[in-house]
Amino acid sequence: MALKRINKELAELERDPPSSCSAGPVGDDLFHWQATIMGPSDSPYSGGVFFLNIHFPTDYPFKPPKISFNTRIYHPNINSNGSICLDILKDNWSPALTISKVLLSICSLLTDPNPDDPLVSEIANLYKTDRAKYDATAREWTKKYAI
Amino acid sequence: MPPTTTKLCITVIAADSLYKRDMFRLPDPFAVITVDGEQTKTTTVIRKTLNPYWNENFIVDVKEDSIVAVQIFDHKKFKRKDQGFLGVINIRVGDLINLNLGGDEMITRDLRKSNDNFVVSGKLILNLSTSTENGGPSVNGAAATTAMTANPNQVNPPVANSTTTAETSSTGGQTNAPLAGTNTIPPTHSAATATASAHIDGAFEDQYGVLPEGWEVRTDTQGRTYYVDHNSRVTTWTRPSATNAAGGSSQHNTDLERQRHQSRTLPGDNSGTAVNSTGTNASAMGSGARAPPARNGSATSVSSPGAVGANLAVTPASGAGASPALNELPAGWEQRYTPEGRPYFVDHSTRTTTWVDPRRQQYIRMYAPNTSGVSVQQQPVSQLGPLPSGWEMRLTNTARVYFVDHNTKTTTWDDPRLPSSLDQNVPQYKRDFRRKLIYFRSQPALRILPGQCHVKVRRDKIFEDSYQEVMRQTPEDLKKRLMIKFDGEEGLDYGGVSREYFFLLSHEMFNPFYGLFEYSAHDNYTLQINPRSGINPEHLNYFKFIGRIVGLAVFHRRFLDAFFIGAFYKMMLNKRVFLDDMEGVDHDYHRNLNWMLDNDITDILELTFSVEEDQFGELVTLDLKPNGRNIDVTNENKQEYVELVTEWKISRRIKEQFEAFITGFHELIPADLVNVFDERELELLIGGLSEIDIQDWKKHTDYRGYSEKDQVIEWFWQCIESMDNEQKSRLLQFTTGTSRIPVNGFKDLQGSDGPRRFTIEKAGESTQLPKSHTCFNRVDLPKYEDYETLKTKLIMAVEETMGFGQE
Repeated sequence: MALKRINKELAELERDPPSSCSAGPVGDDLFHWQATIMGPSDSPYSGGVFFLNIHFPTDYPFKPPKISFNTRIYHPNINSNGSICLDILKDNWSPALTISKVLLSICSLLTDPNPDDPLVSEIANLYKTDRAKYDATAREWTKKYAI
Repeated sequence: MPPTTTKLCITVIAADSLYKRDMFRLPDPFAVITVDGEQTKTTTVIRKTLNPYWNENFIVDVKEDSIVAVQIFDHKKFKRKDQGFLGVINIRVGDLINLNLGGDEMITRDLRKSNDNFVVSGKLILNLSTSTENGGPSVNGAAATTAMTANPNQVNPPVANSTTTAETSSTGGQTNAPLAGTNTIPPTHSAATATASAHIDGAFEDQYGVLPEGWEVRTDTQGRTYYVDHNSRVTTWTRPSATNAAGGSSQHNTDLERQRHQSRTLPGDNSGTAVNSTGTNASAMGSGARAPPARNGSATSVSSPGAVGANLAVTPASGAGASPALNELPAGWEQRYTPEGRPYFVDHSTRTTTWVDPRRQQYIRMYAPNTSGVSVQQQPVSQLGPLPSGWEMRLTNTARVYFVDHNTKTTTWDDPRLPSSLDQNVPQYKRDFRRKLIYFRSQPALRILPGQCHVKVRRDKIFEDSYQEVMRQTPEDLKKRLMIKFDGEEGLDYGGVSREYFFLLSHEMFNPFYGLFEYSAHDNYTLQINPRSGINPEHLNYFKFIGRIVGLAVFHRRFLDAFFIGAFYKMMLNKRVFLDDMEGVDHDYHRNLNWMLDNDITDILELTFSVEEDQFGELVTLDLKPNGRNIDVTNENKQEYVELVTEWKISRRIKEQFEAFITGFHELIPADLVNVFDERELELLIGGLSEIDIQDWKKHTDYRGYSEKDQVIEWFWQCIESMDNEQKSRLLQFTTGTSRIPVNGFKDLQGSDGPRRFTIEKAGESTQLPKSHTCFNRVDLPKYEDYETLKTKLIMAVEETMGFGQE
C-alpha cells in the first residue's frame, strides 16, 4: 500500500519543495530517505544544516514514518540518539500528514521547543530557567556539529 | 597491537553427542570461534552428524583475559532465527594456559545453553597451544576416534553461504580482520564468519555483551533502549546485570506468576484451588483422603492437602484418591447407552436416569439470600443430585443453557435442582458462564477415557520433550487420565504436577524466542501468532502441537499461563473479525483505518487493494483481492478495503498457522462444544480466573476529572470489592482488554504506547453506561447519582458490550 503514496510524496516534493527543507530517497530504497532542515533564522540553530533519517514502515501511511536527527542538536525534545519527541510522529499521526508537513513541523519545533513534554529534561529545565544560556549552548552545538 | 597479545593456536577437534533438535534429520554442525567478540573464525560444515570431527586450527591473538567463545550451529538452520544453535562454551585463556610460559592444553567441556535457552547437550573438544608453528597438536585421543568413524563426510566443504547476510554485518564491524598465519581457513568461510558476527549483534546482546537468559533488548518509537524480560514478561529501562536477572527479580517474578497461576479457578469449580502452591510435590500429600466440597466460593479458601484427590473430577465417593482413571460407578448405579451410542446413567436406588456421570465431581454455585444480600456457596452437582428423571440439559443456538422437561414437554431456563427464586438476583452473564461450564463439562466428548496418558518430560527440555510425547499419542490417548512426570523427580500427578507442567510449558511454547508467537503491538504481553513463524520449517507441526496442548489443558481442566489478543479467541470460535478487533492488535492502525472511513481520502492515501510486506528483508506486494494492486481504493469502496485489510492483518496472513493450531485443538475439544462460549469466556476457560488484589489496583489508579476522595470513585471501588473473581476479571477484560494482571501487579499495566496505569476519567452523562478505552486502560465513568445506579450501569456495561474494542 505504501509505495504508491511514497512515490506521490516524492513527486510533490520535487515539484513544490518546501522552504528550508529537502528530502529524498537514499539510493534505490524508496522506504529509506534522508532529509535536510536549515536551522530557522529566528532560532539559535540558525545557519546550521541538519540531516535527518526517514524510514517508512510498510504500512505507511497508516503508521507514522520513523524520523530521527543524524546531526547532533541541543534541543529539549530531541535526544542524543536523534530521536524526536513530537506528537504527530506518535499518537497524533494522521494518514493525511505528509513528510513535507512533518518536516515543517520539525522546523517549527526548532523555533518553539516544547519544554513541557521534554525528551531531555535537563535541556528543558535550562530552557525554562535560563533562556540565554540555553540559546548560547544551542548556538555552540550548531556551530560545532551543523556548520 | 598492545604488547601483551600473544598468538594462540586453537584447534577445534570435535564435538560429541550434540542435541538432536529434529525428529527426522541430523544437523550439519559447524563451529564459530570468537575471541573477545572481535576475531571470528569458522570451521567447515560437517554433514549430518551429532558427533562432528573437524580438527581445524585457527590462530588468534589473545591476552590473558581474553574470552574465547566457541558456538556450534546447524548450518541448515543458520539463516533462521535460532540459527540452529547447538551450544556454546566460553573459556578464559588465562585460566588454561600461562601465556608467558607457553603451553599446550586439550580440554573437553560440556556445551552450554546460550541466553535464548535452546536445549543443548554434548561436549566439545578443543586444544589450545601457544606453539603456532606446527598448526596445533596431532589428535590421537580416544575422544576423537568415535567422532571420526561417525563422519565419513567430514571433509565436505560448506554449502555456499549467503553473502547477503554477510553484508548486514558491516555495522557489527571489527569481526573480519584477517590475521596473518590463518591459512587453514579456506576462503569460502568469510561469508559464514560475517554472518556469525551479525548474530552477535542480535537483540539478545547489546554493546555491553550478552544479556542474561530470557532477556531481549528493544528500541521504542523514540529510539530509547529498553529491556524485555521474557521470563517474567516485564520491561525496564535498566539493563539487567547477569546477577540480578539470573538470581533475584526474575526468579521472584516467576514464583509470583506460578503462585498466581496455581490459584486460578473457574466458577463452579473448586478444583483449581485444591492444591497447595508448591505444586510439584503432590505426592507428599495424602494418597487417600477425599476432600469435602468447598463451602464457599472464595478461590483461596480451600487449600487442605486432602482436597487434591478430588480435583480431577473422576474420583468416586468411595474410591481412594490415588486410584487413577475412571473406575467403578457408585453402588446402585449403572451405565447404559442410548441407541445413538450416547452413554447415560441409571441410579437404581432412586430409579432415575441422567446424562451426568455420577463419578464426576461437578461443582456449581448456590445463591442463597442472607442478611447482606446474596451469598455464594459452592456445591458439587452430585450433591444437588442429577437432574430429575425425564429432564435434560440443552443449549440454545445462542449457547445459553436451558432445561427440557420431557415429562411435561416444557422447557425452562431454571435448573430444576435449584430453587429458581434464589437465582434471580444474579447477573445474567454470570449464570450463563457457570451453566455453560456445567453443560460443557458434562458432554460425553469431554469425558475422561479409561486408562492413563503418561507424559514424561525433562524439566529443562519441557518444550521439546512434550512435543515428542504429545504428538506420538493419539487424541484418544490424550483423553485418558493425565499423568505428568518430570524426569528425575518423585511425585505422582494428582493435579499439582500437571498444574506446574502447564505453567512451565506455556512459558516455553509461547516464548517469542521460538518465533511461533509474538506479543501484540497493543502491549507487551498479549500473544498473537507470529506471521513470520515460517522461519521454522516445522512450524505448522508445532502449531498443531500447541493447539493440542491448549485442548489438553481445557480437557483436563488445567490453565495455561498465556493470554491472547481478543481476536484470537474469536477466531477459535470461528467468528469473523472486524475493525474493532484491530484495536487489540495494533492501536495506531485501528485509529487510522477509522480515520480513513471518516474522512475523504481522495488524493490523500493513494491506496490500492494490496499490502506490502517485509519478508526477511524483501518487500513483497500481496493482493487483498484478485488483481488488487491495480485497483484504487476510493471513497466508494474504502469500506471493503478496511474489511479486507483488517482480515488480512488479523487472520489471513496467519491462516495456515491458525488452521494447524485449531486442528490440534479440535482433536480434544470439539468445535460445537467450545462454541458455547463467547470470546471472553474462552479466555477465562483457557487462562482461568486469577485472584485480583483490589488494594493494589486502587493504589495504581490515576484519575482524570475525579479525585480519589470523590463519592463516585468510592462507590466504584466499593462496587468492585463486592464483586467475585469472575466479575472482577470481566471488568478487567472490559477496561484493559485482557484478564491478565502483570506479574508485579497493576503498577506494570501496559497500554498500547508503553506503561499505562489504570485510569478513571470523568466523562459521559449519568444516563449513559461507562465506556472503556482498552488501549489506554481507561474507563470513562459518568458522575452517577447513587451507588445503585453506578453498580447497575457498570455491570451492564461489562456484561452487554461484546468484543474487545469499546471505543
